[in-house]
Amino acid sequence: MKIDFTFDSTNYRHYMDGINSVLHCHHYITLTQKTAHKYAAMGGNKILTESAEDAFRPLFDAGIQKNNLADPASRLAACTEYYSAMGMGLVNMKGDASGGEATLQRSHVDQGWLKKFGPSQLPVNYVTCGFLAAAFAAAHGKPARSYQVTETASIAKGDPESKFSVVCK
Amino acid sequence: MTVQRDTVVKDLAKLHFTGDSNGLIEGFNVMVNQLPTAFWNNFSERMMAMVPESAKAELEADLINCAYECGYHTGYGIITSNEFQSVVTPMVTEGAKDVLRGAYAVFTAWGWAKSGIVQVKEGERMVVRAQDYYEADGAPGSNRAFMIRGVSKAFMELAFAAPYPNGMHTFECAQTQGLESGGPYGEFVVEKK
Repeated sequence: MKIDFTFDSTNYRHYMDGINSVLHCHHYITLTQKTAHKYAAMGGNKILTESAEDAFRPLFDAGIQKNNLADPASRLAACTEYYSAMGMGLVNMKGDASGGEATLQRSHVDQGWLKKFGPSQLPVNYVTCGFLAAAFAAAHGKPARSYQVTETASIAKGDPESKFSVVCK
Repeated sequence: MTVQRDTVVKDLAKLHFTGDSNGLIEGFNVMVNQLPTAFWNNFSERMMAMVPESAKAELEADLINCAYECGYHTGYGIITSNEFQSVVTPMVTEGAKDVLRGAYAVFTAWGWAKSGIVQVKEGERMVVRAQDYYEADGAPGSNRAFMIRGVSKAFMELAFAAPYPNGMHTFECAQTQGLESGGPYGEFVVEKK
């Protein structure tokens, strides 16, 4: 799948398949996750996940439309490509409309966390949870918040892969 | 001024970032991500709306700090990178001031803001203006360019504080104008603590 990266030389904005995107680093995303942890009791991690889901969905819908992807498998494959193109790592997704599972063999956030803070006691992939919720919903033509995603293993906690369960609500 | 912002931006914006075979982007001594701007805006806006009034100042400081550490470490990676050395360094004739101007050109090339330095007093004060920045997207409201504030103070420290990595917590940055609050531009004033 070809992803179009463009740069608006009037406003100096970057676009990925027509969606305004921006370059940041592992310091920023891991500290953002840490901030969400700090306010977890008030819903910080939920906000982080939903912010990601709502931001990724338009990108996935744009890619699905641009490439005329009709079946869920090819739509999930497109989302997999976006994950890597964004520098987030390598994600493998399996399942159907009722849900499924996902694994990360390589992870920007986990590896960035280990580099910056060392091992974590808590899961650190709430952004990827949002990504997966958006991917499954886009693949199966469902609205936002259709899927509950839970991180069940984490590279940042010392596991060999990060793993997620995805359940249709 | 000798650093030509538009030339630098044009050259650096051509650099194409996408994941390698591991789906990762390494550059400037950091790991780089490329996410929709809506993600960052959604998070900061929703968090600010969620916390009680008594917690807003602390959350604001936390959000600024996220960008501050990013700006300090990534900024150092940028100004010591091969790309910066080849594109910007030949234009530097005014020492740290020009390095700072070059850093803001990179700031612009990365899509953080269409911005430039309007005034700098070495080691003391800097004023930056941004004519377009993604943090102003969305519904009008109070000033919320936390990322620009954090990165601006980081860049000032890289230019004028103790050498990296020992120059942190030397400056502060306030946002004095905002597109999001109805102003003609975003304005950021960095001053020594």
